[in-house]
Amino acid sequence: MPYDDLRSFLGTLEQEGQLLRITDEVLPEPDLAAAANATGRIGEGAPALWFDNVKGFTDARIALNVHGSWANHALALGLPKHTPVKEQVEEFSRRWDAFPVAPERREDAPWRENTQERDDVDLFSVLPLFRLNDGDGGFYLDKAAVVSRDPEDPDHFGKQNVGTYRLQVIGRNRLAMQPVPVHDVALHLRKAEEKGEDLPIAITLGNDPVMTIVAGMPMGYDQSEYEMAGALRGAPAPIATAPLTGFDVPWGSEVVIEGVIESRKRQIEGPFGEFTGHYSGGRRMPVIRIDRVSYRTNPVFESLYLGMPWTEVDYLVGPNTCVPLLKQLRAEFPEVQAVNAMYTHGLLAIISTKKRYGGFAKAVAMRAMTTPHGLGYITTVILVDEDVDPFNLPQVMWAVSSKVNPSGDVMILPNLSVVELAPAAQPAGITSKMIIDATTPVRPDERGNFSTPAKDLPETRDWAARIQRLLAEARG
Amino acid sequence: MTDCPRCAFETVEKLYSSPVPGVWDVLQCRRCLYTWRTTEPARRTRRESYPEQFRMTAEDIANAPEVPVVPPLRA
Repeated sequence: MPYDDLRSFLGTLEQEGQLLRITDEVLPEPDLAAAANATGRIGEGAPALWFDNVKGFTDARIALNVHGSWANHALALGLPKHTPVKEQVEEFSRRWDAFPVAPERREDAPWRENTQERDDVDLFSVLPLFRLNDGDGGFYLDKAAVVSRDPEDPDHFGKQNVGTYRLQVIGRNRLAMQPVPVHDVALHLRKAEEKGEDLPIAITLGNDPVMTIVAGMPMGYDQSEYEMAGALRGAPAPIATAPLTGFDVPWGSEVVIEGVIESRKRQIEGPFGEFTGHYSGGRRMPVIRIDRVSYRTNPVFESLYLGMPWTEVDYLVGPNTCVPLLKQLRAEFPEVQAVNAMYTHGLLAIISTKKRYGGFAKAVAMRAMTTPHGLGYITTVILVDEDVDPFNLPQVMWAVSSKVNPSGDVMILPNLSVVELAPAAQPAGITSKMIIDATTPVRPDERGNFSTPAKDLPETRDWAARIQRLLAEARG
Repeated sequence: MTDCPRCAFETVEKLYSSPVPGVWDVLQCRRCLYTWRTTEPARRTRRESYPEQFRMTAEDIANAPEVPVVPPLRA
């Protein structure tokens, strides 16, 4: 049963024991961020956090870490909460095949209940804003689904983009925004600024859990995130028309902010502690003027802590980074078995593949680096054989330790593109990239002594099932 | 009102006050746009405690690179 809004998902999390209500009074800083940071330091299965007793506020409702464990990610997809990660990625991949699923338009959006316009806009009065990390330049909206259209093709539904970008609150009605040049909104902004025009924008906060996953997913320029959300939900995504921009926005959002990115203007932004585990900032970035805010009565403010991994963002963008890469690679190389690109949004990827002939695995790695997401992210690729599970890091380390002869299996490619946020890039945006081929060489690449591998015994699979059954019986 | 903890600029504006009166204010530097709540720890609110690596100068702001770069206007 898919969720049409954040509230219904929070209800399920609570029923499943995956939402913790903090009822004691807390300080907005540093408590809210420190608590969310701590969910990544207490082991598996961390819950979402709910705060409504925050010092100085009379009416705050804050949800943090909503996607911040494999249990919560599974529940977001409507899977049992103990579903293993690899199975979540496989199910994600299976549902992808239903793309595109047309959305369902509804006009009774609950965010129509309340409105602020023009000079009356005051984000602080709608949302209990707060700081995440010490060095952050201010308070951020970091879990929004941001909607924009191609100014040269505004009626193209697929080119309408839904993405997540960091947004710094720099005034009651002003935001600074980071459109990374490799992302779709930067293409929209460039086209508008070349004409000297503002770019209309709609920022939606507090969305159903699949919408948030899709907004953070690397998709093709003309592929619709709403049609992907429908595929992943197994039901059409409910959308509504935003009143000022006319853009398509999620029906179930808590808050819909509309305005424009002001043309050809830049203002100091950041820093902000990023998904790379490092701050980035001290740059002049585009500025949004907010002209209208629509919001549900008693809005829930959903935010996300990010910093040194792992944090919620790593769960949120883990599977949604793996699956597009898997699909794009398999389209040309059906030998590819699985892709684990969950490390720093895919700065490192582990790919399991069969080999067509000697040298094939390295070609798969180079193809991964030239996918749309790979161009901006994939810096290190580890290749493993088809019988190695790339999500099982001890197995991956076994492959690297036993199969790699560095002189023939490690390639360094100089001066390639990467997101400017990548901390090791030099200069920003340029990096060397590395392929570590930990697959078994095959003809005519006849190197090493791999002719007698010790495989699992044929009977092991049955015994594993038998032991698990006996253990379950013994534990009652 | 206090100077900016981050860039020491003297013009600081109040953006918002706590709905419960008198608990905190949200302040903002008019030069570097640093924004803070008065109840935050000293490392975020006091110039003398503000970490060296996050401080900003007028030169830093003037020389900050544009991201993304403003493109040329099309004829």
